[in-house]
Amino acid sequence: MSDFEPVLLANIDKPDSHTLRVYESAGGYQGLKKVVKKMQPADVTTEVKESNLRGRGGAGFPTGLKWTFLPQDHPGPVYFCLNADESEPGTFNNRILMEEDPHQVIEGVIISCYATRATTAYIYLRYEYPKSYERLESAIKECYDAGYLGKNILGSDFSLDMCVHRGAAAYICGEETGLIESLEGKRAWPRIKPPFPAIEGLFRKPTVVNNVETAACVKHIIDRGSDWFKSIGVAADPDNPRDVGSYGPKLYCLSGHIEKPGCYEAPLGITLQELIDQYGGGVWKGRKAKAAIPGGISMGLLTAEEFDCPLDFTGPGKYQCLGLGTAAVVVLDETVSIVDFLHNSARFFSHESCGQCTPCREGTSWALKMLDRIKAGRGRLTDLDLLLEISDSIGIMPGTTICGLADGAAWPMKNAIRKFRDEFTDYIKRTNPGGYAQTSPAQAMEILSGAH
Amino acid sequence: MPTVTVDGQEIELGDDERLNGIQVARRAGVEIPHYCWHAGLTVVASCRMCLVESGRKDRESGEISMIPKLVPACQTPAADGTVFVTNSEKVKSARSMVEEDLLIRHPIDCPVCDKAGECSLQDYHFQHGQGQRRADIKPFTSRRRPMGDTVTLFVDRCVMCTRCVRFTREISGTSELMVINRGDHEEIDVFPGFPLDNKMSGNVVDLCPVGALGDKDFLYSQRVWFMKQHDHVCAGCSTGCSIHVEENHDHVYRLKPRENPHINHWWMCDEGRYGYKHIHDPGRVTQPTRRDETGEMVSADWSDLNQRIDSSLRSGLDNGGLDNGGLENGGLDNGGLRDNGKLAAVLSPYLTVEEAYLLSDYIRGLDPDAALVLGPIPIEGTDETYPGNFTIRAEKCPNRNGVEAVISALSGRLLTFDEFLDQISDGSCGGVWITGGYKTDWISDEQAMKLAKIPTIVLQEMFASPLSDHASYRLGALTFAEREGSYVNVGDRLQSFRWAIRPPAGVMPDGQLYWQLSGRAGMFQAAEVLAEVADSIPYFHAAAGEIPDVGVDLKITRLASVEG
Amino acid sequence: MPTKATVLTDEMISEIEKYFNRYPSRQAVTLPALHVVNEHLRHVPLQAVVEIAELLELAPAEVQDTLSFYGFFKQDKPHGETRAWVCRSISCALRGGEEVLDHMCSRLGIQPGETTADGKLTLEFGECLGGCDFAPCMLAGGDLHMDLDTASADAFLDDLGVTSENQPPD
Repeated sequence: MSDFEPVLLANIDKPDSHTLRVYESAGGYQGLKKVVKKMQPADVTTEVKESNLRGRGGAGFPTGLKWTFLPQDHPGPVYFCLNADESEPGTFNNRILMEEDPHQVIEGVIISCYATRATTAYIYLRYEYPKSYERLESAIKECYDAGYLGKNILGSDFSLDMCVHRGAAAYICGEETGLIESLEGKRAWPRIKPPFPAIEGLFRKPTVVNNVETAACVKHIIDRGSDWFKSIGVAADPDNPRDVGSYGPKLYCLSGHIEKPGCYEAPLGITLQELIDQYGGGVWKGRKAKAAIPGGISMGLLTAEEFDCPLDFTGPGKYQCLGLGTAAVVVLDETVSIVDFLHNSARFFSHESCGQCTPCREGTSWALKMLDRIKAGRGRLTDLDLLLEISDSIGIMPGTTICGLADGAAWPMKNAIRKFRDEFTDYIKRTNPGGYAQTSPAQAMEILSGAH
Repeated sequence: MPTVTVDGQEIELGDDERLNGIQVARRAGVEIPHYCWHAGLTVVASCRMCLVESGRKDRESGEISMIPKLVPACQTPAADGTVFVTNSEKVKSARSMVEEDLLIRHPIDCPVCDKAGECSLQDYHFQHGQGQRRADIKPFTSRRRPMGDTVTLFVDRCVMCTRCVRFTREISGTSELMVINRGDHEEIDVFPGFPLDNKMSGNVVDLCPVGALGDKDFLYSQRVWFMKQHDHVCAGCSTGCSIHVEENHDHVYRLKPRENPHINHWWMCDEGRYGYKHIHDPGRVTQPTRRDETGEMVSADWSDLNQRIDSSLRSGLDNGGLDNGGLENGGLDNGGLRDNGKLAAVLSPYLTVEEAYLLSDYIRGLDPDAALVLGPIPIEGTDETYPGNFTIRAEKCPNRNGVEAVISALSGRLLTFDEFLDQISDGSCGGVWITGGYKTDWISDEQAMKLAKIPTIVLQEMFASPLSDHASYRLGALTFAEREGSYVNVGDRLQSFRWAIRPPAGVMPDGQLYWQLSGRAGMFQAAEVLAEVADSIPYFHAAAGEIPDVGVDLKITRLASVEG
Repeated sequence: MPTKATVLTDEMISEIEKYFNRYPSRQAVTLPALHVVNEHLRHVPLQAVVEIAELLELAPAEVQDTLSFYGFFKQDKPHGETRAWVCRSISCALRGGEEVLDHMCSRLGIQPGETTADGKLTLEFGECLGGCDFAPCMLAGGDLHMDLDTASADAFLDDLGVTSENQPPD
């Protein structure tokens, strides 16, 4: 086990860790008091900027920098949305924070709102977290009672309202503009950018959308300073001007074929192998690993030979994965069929695609149908080339889609087929000996399951 | 002047112009394919068909730096220095992928789909698509779903461009259409019990880039490649939407709006759109008839009809009788009309400016003091303005302004129909030419009785009316699609058009009839008449010269014209 | 004069109205309103959509558009007294989640999305419920059930007392 002293998970083992009483006894809301009494909003932004805190929601965009995109002289209101829609397969760190230490998150949000001059904070919470809902509602009430929320917080002229807005089971509500559309009461179709949410977001007003863990980090940065924050993690590469470093503590989710699934805190930069060995108790049942997802299923797949990949913001990219994502590691052991893995992934993305733009709506649907056919023993070798063509072409990175869901759908496909091509070809040849070499279109199968 | 480069070509823009990539590429003669973008609706950039490469050209060095990823042309503003590349391999490949994507789940309906021949999916497939199908196939035909009284939906043909939904939310403001479900299960639908039911509903069919939305009126009635399209103007109300009349062999199959930024933008209302049925109503008056010596209506012959009409009207100028027999003396020594004229012309607000002018010219030629009367103005309801800045007017005729201006200029005063009916009660009117062109009831029994005493009545009407039995000469009237000339709408904009179809046998086009009666040689030349009108009547001064497709604003000179 | 039968009770309406001052737009109350009705009626029938639309000053199509996007709200009839989502995403699938769902479905004689004949349980598949630390997991009755296997699934069904075509009622 690492001897890293937990920061984000410091309180969760305490009984009633979710209550204000326990939170304050550990020094909670001192940061808020300092901020409100002694700092200007711009000072808070500066501190967060200097810490090089990068968003923990999946994109890794520098948080302080994002805050500076808000127009300075806007008459307001400015809105803050806490993205608690955590739905990336393999990810559950936000759940733990909200259930066990909601005040840590709330204090971070209040400080963020002070910095960004937001007057209302909406917590967009996924429906499937009822315990988080209960804990957050209770914590918010405690805050109002204690004067940490509401009018004239701690006697200052800073006022903030906060409430929870429950989702209804749609992954795309975790995309920042999908979240905004959903909050506004419409279907969660992400918006085209520009304009960016900082300029025109919720209700067409300047808006900041931040992740739960990011908000918790803000609290600690204010408590202990940006220098402290930068003492943890991986420094920026001096030769790469675009690298802003991977600083701070990180919650890593570990699940799948592992002895001890769970949420573990470590400095950014731990390798996947270290995570498995030092925290996860190794691959389960004494088996060997075949592959692992590095940061939520959207990030793709690492082979067992690639487990030396550092889990920071730049590591997975060097191994042809999309990035660190939500730092949710899912381990696949040697008995797993990569074909099954990819089918599970394709099914997820086709189900969750919002359907707005053609390449994603049709591409994810087409990919799933091909994988259905492959699993039904009617696959063709040309399917693999088509799947690669689809996955190479869809996404916000090539510019063919409005949001990154398509990139998330594409990366597991690209990685799985490129890194495990032999397994695919063997599977196809073995299950469809008579037809694997066909090239012309086949008769489509009936729609299999009644998905909604 | 901002300069934009499109495929190497430099295009200069006006300083105040705000164009996107699609619009600026059009100026370079390049048509960027697109489904979801429409100039009249919000930009959603969701179809991804208009993806292009974009970059900037440095003002000083001329160096071009391109963005590595594709961008939708519809959401990329054309600013000074913007560079668009629409024909690279990267762009072509992205386009063909989108096209292939849309065809994967598309039903094989072309042979039974109305949209064939004007379908973007078809056109782009040929221009930009893959040669071979690569996806699995299960041929099927689309489900059909009722939307409302005017529009039907072929559900599975939809490409989810959402233009129709945006139209009902942004333009008609009625929000009947919605998307249901998510992902590849998405469909267009209406809420049960709340069908598509607004006065602009037909526009969604124009907007649909494929054959998903169908116009129930037009459905299965004609293949588009057999129809000829004519620029025209709607005669349904004083808004005067620019339209296309689409016909085959003089049979009108549908009307569609024609883009006009000054009047109707891209829209037309349902009443106008579907208001062409009267054109082919078998009840239309076609063969001319005249009242003979015995008082019977007999069929008339165009070979001598003009002369007969002319001589009847002339005899209305004299004291005493006419050669029509059986009719009362005009009673001309009773003190006469206030105008001191013996003849009158009732000019329908459905006449074009040229037609009104020529007829007035002819009647005033016979009798310089002839009364020029504005025909009944049909009013229904009140003006209705829609959120998309479109107004349906209560005044259900297209050229009141134009006809009024002709009347005022030529006779010095504007006489309404009711005022005229009062004046003729003294029996001093010897002859009247009444132009109709109304598709609905336009005259009451009472009003007809007042006119009945006039010795010579030349009546042009579309359908039987209370006046029919009192006419001396009964001629067929033209519908708007058969007229040639100009209308002036409520906003004083004059639009000119040629006839789209020929009238039924027996009906002489008004322009031709009045031209001949006025003694002009040869065929009716509307442009020549308009030039004369523009020259002699100040209200129409701005209509000198060639009239653009979108018409011309007469308001510049309106303040200067002599009114009433 | 007979009043039109409404689906939204005064209680539901006042619960919905409590959300009004949280947002600058009525449309933003759509999801909260749908949840309120769903909590009370275990579904959101079309008539409720009409009434919600009226309350929020929207067209019914706008509310239905949002409602149907989520696939969460049943409309034809109420879901079961308990609604259980069994996760089918990667972490749970790797540890047998799909097999547990299949087992439950065949025991109850229903497909995912359907309700048992006695109205006690609606079984659904869920997408990553965030319980990967104790996969396979199931969300039911406001709790995340952990470490699901066929035995604990059977125990859950026994506790609920669901009967099915495959099992005669006691």
